[in-house]
Amino acid sequence: MKAPRIPKKILGLAFIFSIVIAALVVARMLFIPPSFGKYGHYRADAVNEIVAQEINYAGYQACMECHDEIYKPKERSYHKSVSCEACHGPAAKHVEAPDEFVPGAPRERGYCPLCHDYNPSRPTGFPQIITELHNPGKACMTCHNPHNPVLPHTPEECSACHREIANVKRISYHASLPCVRCHTVPEKHMVQPKFVFAQVPVEREFCGECHAEGAPGGPDIPRIDLDTHGERYLCWDCHYPHYPEAR
Amino acid sequence: MVELIMIHIQTGLKDITGYIYPNEFELHWGLLIVVYPYLTGLVAGAFILASLERLFKIKVLQPVYRLSLLSALAFLFVAPLPLLAHLGHPERSFEMFLTPYTKSAMAMFGFVYAWYLMVVLLLEIWFDYRKDIVIWSQEKKGIMRFVYKILTLGATDLSEKSILLDNKIGKVITIIGIPSAFLLHGYVGFIFGSVKANPWWSSVLMPIVFLFSAIVSGIALVLLIYMVSTMFRWKTMNMSCLNQLGELLLYAIIVDFSLELLDFIQRLYESEESIHILSQMISSRLFLSLIISQFILGSVIPMISLVWARFGRVPDEMRRMVYFIAAILVQVGIFSTRWNVVIGGQLFSKSLRGLTVYKIQLFGLEGLFMAGFLLILPFIILYILCKLFPPWVDSEVKLH
Ligand code: HEC
Ligand code: HEC
Ligand code: HEC
Ligand code: HEC
Ligand code: HEC
Ligand code: HEC
Ligand code: HEC
Ligand code: HEC
Repeated sequence: MKAPRIPKKILGLAFIFSIVIAALVVARMLFIPPSFGKYGHYRADAVNEIVAQEINYAGYQACMECHDEIYKPKERSYHKSVSCEACHGPAAKHVEAPDEFVPGAPRERGYCPLCHDYNPSRPTGFPQIITELHNPGKACMTCHNPHNPVLPHTPEECSACHREIANVKRISYHASLPCVRCHTVPEKHMVQPKFVFAQVPVEREFCGECHAEGAPGGPDIPRIDLDTHGERYLCWDCHYPHYPEAR
Repeated sequence: MVELIMIHIQTGLKDITGYIYPNEFELHWGLLIVVYPYLTGLVAGAFILASLERLFKIKVLQPVYRLSLLSALAFLFVAPLPLLAHLGHPERSFEMFLTPYTKSAMAMFGFVYAWYLMVVLLLEIWFDYRKDIVIWSQEKKGIMRFVYKILTLGATDLSEKSILLDNKIGKVITIIGIPSAFLLHGYVGFIFGSVKANPWWSSVLMPIVFLFSAIVSGIALVLLIYMVSTMFRWKTMNMSCLNQLGELLLYAIIVDFSLELLDFIQRLYESEESIHILSQMISSRLFLSLIISQFILGSVIPMISLVWARFGRVPDEMRRMVYFIAAILVQVGIFSTRWNVVIGGQLFSKSLRGLTVYKIQLFGLEGLFMAGFLLILPFIILYILCKLFPPWVDSEVKLH
């Protein structure tokens, strides 16, 4: 009996496929970097290459050694979370050779608004200004010390820091109510808001002072029955009082 | 520089509604990523059409069998190009073959593609054309004779047994090919469907909807190519083949349309928190491309006109007209489908509170002209393929 002959076409195809596979194997040998896969699905040498990169930033601790007259007050100021090099640019070279390489300082008016210009997505209470309206034409440094930005005088308005809330409240149903009608605000809050807190209403009865049936006030205040309306929930679970759509 | 960026952002901001995160201002997947699933869909669709003919022996489709195989091949060659043009470093793309990473669906694309190209499409075409190639390698002159000689791979056996074997192997490949075609395009849907964070994409139905829209677009494409090519060859069209194509197209649209409706209704019923922004998006940004182009022009009108043309008392001349227009509308509709998925998925903010806009570039690697070029290129390749391997029934070599 003859052994079954493999047809020529199968051989031809097998030949082509083995060339492709061989090419792949050769390419793997040629192109895969030797350190690939040592730690994971990447080139292990890349780690060393990154480590070997030139260091541009020295870190704010490095500045203390020579600039402690700035470092110390800044550590206790509002800008304690802002690193020196965030404003002065990378200064690793300066630390090594302070006289040869001197970092600049952002003295122009456009710089500080990068963080302080009004933007509704910034968190509650973050100090913000509308740059065009805030003492135009003068450099920020004439009134604020960048290393210890205490305000020249206590802000008079809550909107100084709560601009977003003030803006939406202005067009809400409660536009006529001053903030302090609903919030008890210690005077110190205007100076040290992070340490002295303002109070927020905590009970339903508070809103009832104006909105309950028979509460004092003009007929233009809409009334509800405190016992049945919205029952177990706090009023502001449904009506956020700052918002125009507080319905 | 900073000022330029600011001007750019400020002019763009005018079109933004609501609140979006800063990194959502610019869309990262643009027009080319729309073109890519569109092209792979055509490949898978055309191939599935060819397989229908072969597996279920739908004899009337004979005139388009080879044509759809070649179309699938031509479009498959171009399918990865939009991805390459989109990549920042296209020259590194081959590395995903060298160091396969099985945990990333995107990294496996190369293998899905290579499998489909090498194991399915090229093999099936080769086995189908082998006897023709052998004859041509004996008849043709000059350089072409040499080309065909190489293409025979040395297998010049034309005995009846050998031809029978060709057919058998071809059939096996078709059987492997159908799930592979499903894989190729289902894979594209899978990529989108598995983006958990995006409520517009994240849906188990995504691969299936992609697949059926692929079949729709593939059938319509072959229909178009068949009509145009027959016209230019001054031959008469095979009306029963056209009718069959029109009928298949109709069924495919019905299935595809119902799946899409199902997806839609389910979203409405589930009413997840994203529903508000999504319906806002549909009624504003996507109104033209989804409601008008995808639903009405791309599905409803072709469906109605196909029913009328296929089953009504309509003269052949009129029928051909209707098929042709319906097929073109379907292409427009499916392209809009891809657009709505890819672009739509990036138009709304993940905060679910705002919408951004997409502005098409004209020039550049990812621009409008590039996309246009990539959509024309497959036809040029198909033209060359048809010159090399004439797919027409009248040019097929008769052996015995
Ligand atoms: C080794 C000591 C040393 C260290 C460490 C050091 N500096 Fe200095 N720095 C100096 C000296 C000395 C000068 C004055 C150079 C001059 O005026 O020629 C100076 C000047 C400056 C100036 C320029 C002020 C001007 O007049 O424009 C800035 C800004 C500055 N340093 C920032 C930094 C920062 C930020 C760091 C931390 C990353 C730092 N320095 C760390 C010694 C140091
Ligand atoms: C909020 C941005 C900001 C930060 C943070 C900041 N600086 Fe400055 N720095 C400035 C500006 C603006 C000036 C220019 C002040 C001027 O011209 O009045 C300046 C000036 C200086 C000077 C020049 C001497 C002087 O007083 O005029 C030195 C030195 C200096 N900074 C060091 C530091 C060091 C050290 C730190 C970190 C502990 C630091 N800076 C953090 C913005 C900043
Ligand atoms: C990298 C961002 C950043 C830059 C740049 C920056 N700041 Fe600040 N600033 C802050 C942060 C953070 C706070 C603290 C906010 C808080 O406590 O919530 C702050 C607080 C302040 C305050 C305190 C407001 C208050 O409530 O009393 C003032 C004033 C101020 N910055 C002025 C400036 C000036 C002037 C500049 C330019 C030299 C500047 N800032 C640059 C981030 C920045
Ligand atoms: C003419 C002096 C002056 C100049 C110039 C000035 N400010 Fe102020 N700034 C003040 C005073 C006073 C306050 C106190 C709050 C208030 O009354 O609005 C203040 C408050 C602030 C606050 C606290 C946020 C708030 O509204 O409570 C920030 C932040 C601030 N300024 C940033 C800047 C920046 C940035 C610049 C430069 C673009 C600048 N200021 C220029 C005087 C000045
Ligand atoms: C100097 C800036 C500043 C001024 C002026 C200011 N606030 Fe605040 N306020 C803050 C900051 C910062 C916080 C956030 C404190 C925190 O969460 O750490 C805050 C928080 C609050 C809170 C929330 C407290 C809580 O428990 O969540 C209320 C309410 C409030 N402020 C009301 C007011 C009212 C009303 C005024 C005006 C009378 C006012 N604030 C003026 C900075 C300010
Ligand atoms: C009608 C009463 C009312 C008025 C007027 C009002 N608030 Fe409130 N405020 C509330 C209530 C209620 C809460 C909700 C507390 C909670 O969510 O637990 C609140 C919460 C806050 C908070 C903390 C939570 C948040 O939303 O960020 C701040 C800050 C605040 N108010 C500031 C202001 C300021 C500034 C004004 C004036 C511009 C103002 N409020 C006016 C009732 C009021
Ligand atoms: C000092 C009295 C006062 C207090 C306290 C008060 N409100 Fe009001 N409220 C008013 C007035 C005045 C209006 C505006 C009526 C108008 O002009 O339409 C109003 C309007 C409203 C409306 C709009 C009703 C409508 O649809 O017309 C809602 C909702 C509301 N308040 C909720 C609250 C909640 C919640 C609280 C508790 C956090 C609260 N109010 C506390 C005085 C008050
Ligand atoms: C479960 C959600 C919910 C809670 C909690 C709730 N409300 Fe309402 N409130 C509503 C809805 C919804 C409406 C509007 C329906 C209507 O017009 O009857 C409304 C309407 C109102 C109105 C307008 C009535 C009018 O005649 O126009 C006022 C005032 C009001 N609420 C105040 C309050 C106060 C004060 C509280 C807390 C004691 C409160 N709500 C708690 C849901 C709620």
